[in-house]
Amino acid sequence: MHNTENKIMFAFSEELDTAFLYDLYGDDLQQAEMVFESSAQQIKTEIVLAQARFYDSDLQGLKKVIHKMKPLFGYIGMNEAMEEFAAFEKVCQEEKTAADIEQKFQYILITTQQSLLKAEKEVKRLKQFNTQYL
Amino acid sequence: MKYQSIIVEDLQVAAEFLRKFCEKSGVIDVVQHFLNAEDALQFLKDNVVDLIFLDVEMPGASGFELLDQLVYTPQVILTTSKTEYAYSAFQYNVTDYLKKPFTYQRFLEAVQKVSKKSEQANGNSEQDHLFIKSDGKLIRLHNDDILFIESMGDYVKFITPAKKYITHNTIKNLETKVNPQVFMKVHRSYIVNFTKINDIQENVLFINGNMIPISKTHKSGVMQKINII
Repeated sequence: MHNTENKIMFAFSEELDTAFLYDLYGDDLQQAEMVFESSAQQIKTEIVLAQARFYDSDLQGLKKVIHKMKPLFGYIGMNEAMEEFAAFEKVCQEEKTAADIEQKFQYILITTQQSLLKAEKEVKRLKQFNTQYL
Repeated sequence: MKYQSIIVEDLQVAAEFLRKFCEKSGVIDVVQHFLNAEDALQFLKDNVVDLIFLDVEMPGASGFELLDQLVYTPQVILTTSKTEYAYSAFQYNVTDYLKKPFTYQRFLEAVQKVSKKSEQANGNSEQDHLFIKSDGKLIRLHNDDILFIESMGDYVKFITPAKKYITHNTIKNLETKVNPQVFMKVHRSYIVNFTKINDIQENVLFINGNMIPISKTHKSGVMQKINII
């Protein structure tokens, strides 16, 4: 009953890749909530690390952090952000200095902030939905 | 059959997803999860698994470096967020390549490939050897070198003409792991290589001077297996 109701009533936000999210989570919205929450938390942690790597001009270190962050956006239905991270990962591989990638890195920071806002909004929605059945 | 697996993945979210998919499938047991290749390799020195879910880029050694150091070849499913590794995956003869994040449906397709590959390996009688853990290392024993296997409680003894190897295992477990074209259980405490049987007298058989009992339950199976003219 609980699952059936969840399945019918919850709709992921249109700004996310909803088709993929339904495939990924099915009717397990408890898991969706957990993954959205932990992914958002990890993105926050990793972006701080990415900034540190950037300011140290450690492009290989930055590339590793970006690589680790990339799939996190996929788990929360943000495929565009994931692709931006994939492209930036290549840039880190190819360029030599932090100055070469500064503009693109600033763009990555903006993407991250925007994605976090969307993720946190979705976490709230999922929490609200899941708790009404507890 | 349930496949014993490990997950080698530095991204906790991805590992949890994978663990959940394995549970849901009902055919894969996740024995351990490792956050890096070094810890996994340490585990694999003393333990045998059927399948490794392996991330490629991790802190420290890469997934491919782990594969380079393995002394035996379990099936491998690469789990990565890059498509650039497809050629290497082919070279390492991995069973499948999952791009993160992947759906349960895609995961099941990979599991079917594991199952198919496993069936092919058994069907082709490629199982001409086995690895045992003894004296802190994995030792390859060819079927032809093994005379018989004897139970010692929670341990078993592999008898070869040259040496005896003691390892932590049970006859019950080994019964499903050894090649049935060569080995058969003749007693609750014995599995024998029936190409090595010298003679059979009533309820005992002899291999290289060793007397091995045949239980009533297994007597007819033994008689069917040997070539009486």
